[in-house]
Amino acid sequence: MSVEDLTANTGGLAFGARLRTTWSARSGQERLGLRLLLPVFGLVVVIATIPFILAVYTALTSDSGELVGLRNFERALANPRLVEAFKETLIYAAIVLPTEILLGLGLALLVHRTVRSVAIRALIYVAAMIPIVIPQVAVGVVFRLVYASDYGVLNLVLGKSGHDQILWLSVPSLAMFSVATVDIWQWTPFVYLIMFAGLQTVSQESVEAAQVDGASSWAQFRHIELNYLRPLLLLVLFFRIADVLRVFDHVYVLTGGGPGATTQFLSLYLYDVAFKFSDLGQASALAVVVMAAMTFFYTVISRFLPAERR
Amino acid sequence: MPRSVTRVLTAVVLVIVVVLFAFPLYYMVATSLKPRAELFAAVPTLVPQAPTLRNYAEVLSDKNGSTLLINSVIAGVSATVLALIVAFAICYPITRLPVSRRVRSFVLNWSLSLRFLPPIAVVIPYFALIRALGLYNQLPALILVYTIFNLPLSIWMLKGFLEEIPLEIEEAAQTDGATRWQAFRSVLLPLSRTGILAAAIILFAFDWAEFLFAFILTATPQAMTFPVGVQGLVTQFDIIYNDMAAGGVIAILIPLALMIGARRYVMTGLTFGVIREK
Repeated sequence: MSVEDLTANTGGLAFGARLRTTWSARSGQERLGLRLLLPVFGLVVVIATIPFILAVYTALTSDSGELVGLRNFERALANPRLVEAFKETLIYAAIVLPTEILLGLGLALLVHRTVRSVAIRALIYVAAMIPIVIPQVAVGVVFRLVYASDYGVLNLVLGKSGHDQILWLSVPSLAMFSVATVDIWQWTPFVYLIMFAGLQTVSQESVEAAQVDGASSWAQFRHIELNYLRPLLLLVLFFRIADVLRVFDHVYVLTGGGPGATTQFLSLYLYDVAFKFSDLGQASALAVVVMAAMTFFYTVISRFLPAERR
Repeated sequence: MPRSVTRVLTAVVLVIVVVLFAFPLYYMVATSLKPRAELFAAVPTLVPQAPTLRNYAEVLSDKNGSTLLINSVIAGVSATVLALIVAFAICYPITRLPVSRRVRSFVLNWSLSLRFLPPIAVVIPYFALIRALGLYNQLPALILVYTIFNLPLSIWMLKGFLEEIPLEIEEAAQTDGATRWQAFRSVLLPLSRTGILAAAIILFAFDWAEFLFAFILTATPQAMTFPVGVQGLVTQFDIIYNDMAAGGVIAILIPLALMIGARRYVMTGLTFGVIREK
């Protein structure tokens, strides 16, 4: 029996049952709720907070355990390579986010307005899911085969048309472009799927009314559809910003952060400090700063999210 | 513009987009099927001339691939089950009992905020802790970290599914004399089966794909997961492209199959329940 059947059959009964729940029973239930919730949730909060406390402790002490004050923080924040990593991350975000959003939105509008066949829409839906569900490391493999110097598809095409090979992953000015296209390849479909889902909720009546009044396609988008999409655009931004800040796998596989530090984004930089240079003091200071900054950033951005309004 | 022209243009644009997206994947599959000799052809071929499964056999047997696959499955299944149990324990009170709005939104917001933490910042302190506990290069360390990291998603997905099941059904069972535990066992749990299954599939696929934690917290095939092995095939000094491609294809197959099976819920999972397919 599906959920729908059961709700249909118990609707009347349930209303009566709800009325019988008195105030005292309610507060008893609330106590039960807290008794069930607190032990588990408390434990989770503790386990999740441990890294932060540990990081603060490691950052404030030397390897031999003496207090070193804020020296690790100073070293971490004054490091020119941190500024560099921050800059590269911003450039990456500035390439990737607008491209993915515009492309995904454009494709969603195109399919929404011109493809009527349910079968083709369903096919596009499944196809668009494929890049999203592929492990990032495998995405790295896929694009190794696209950008590799001797065997890669791009150089194969260039060679056939009589051009010289291009070292997509080892020329500084191209490496950023190459890793950014991978991100665009993988995440434009994500934007597409969200935007397409949003377009399905647009009121058909107002669209038809606008068309009768002779509104242009652009006006229809600007004044009607965009209103439905705005909260979803914020949602996309939320998830994509969170993801850009954690970008690691495919870049590590493709360029390892190089050439030089041209694709050494924040996560890769932290990885290097902690595990390549084994400077756990500085790495922990960075981790503390990143965790604090992200928590603050989250508090600001979550106010604009279309989630939980109760 | 006449309708037919628009239709043709749309078709052309869509075909170009689909080719751009599909071709890299195709080339990986094609490469994985090529025998070694064909790899070194003066001009690489687009279609394997003598397709073979040898590369797969090599990755799975000679390069410990099957051990890593088993590790991935163990880590993924355990972490998924654990995350679901913990998430259920948290979601039951906030969806079925009149817990105050402040508590409820704190739980949800706090768990969503975890989604914003870059894993690398968290793994640096965990690394020290896990080494101190003697859990370095052990699957339990991965299981623990995966459970915590996927908890936000599990909580939000389960919350969404549980909210769709009317409170009244359980209340009706209780007025008929069932205890709260019986109502949970025989009414709520069976009704949330689909939701639990969907969440399990998506969580497992995420655990399966995870790379950074496994890369940092493991060192030998004893605990390494499959993506770490694939990374090893890519960054080794002399890349053997067809082995690397075979590894990539294996890494993709399982999440792809699972996600296509659970396609109605994938977007729900990826957006923490904001997008719902009806």
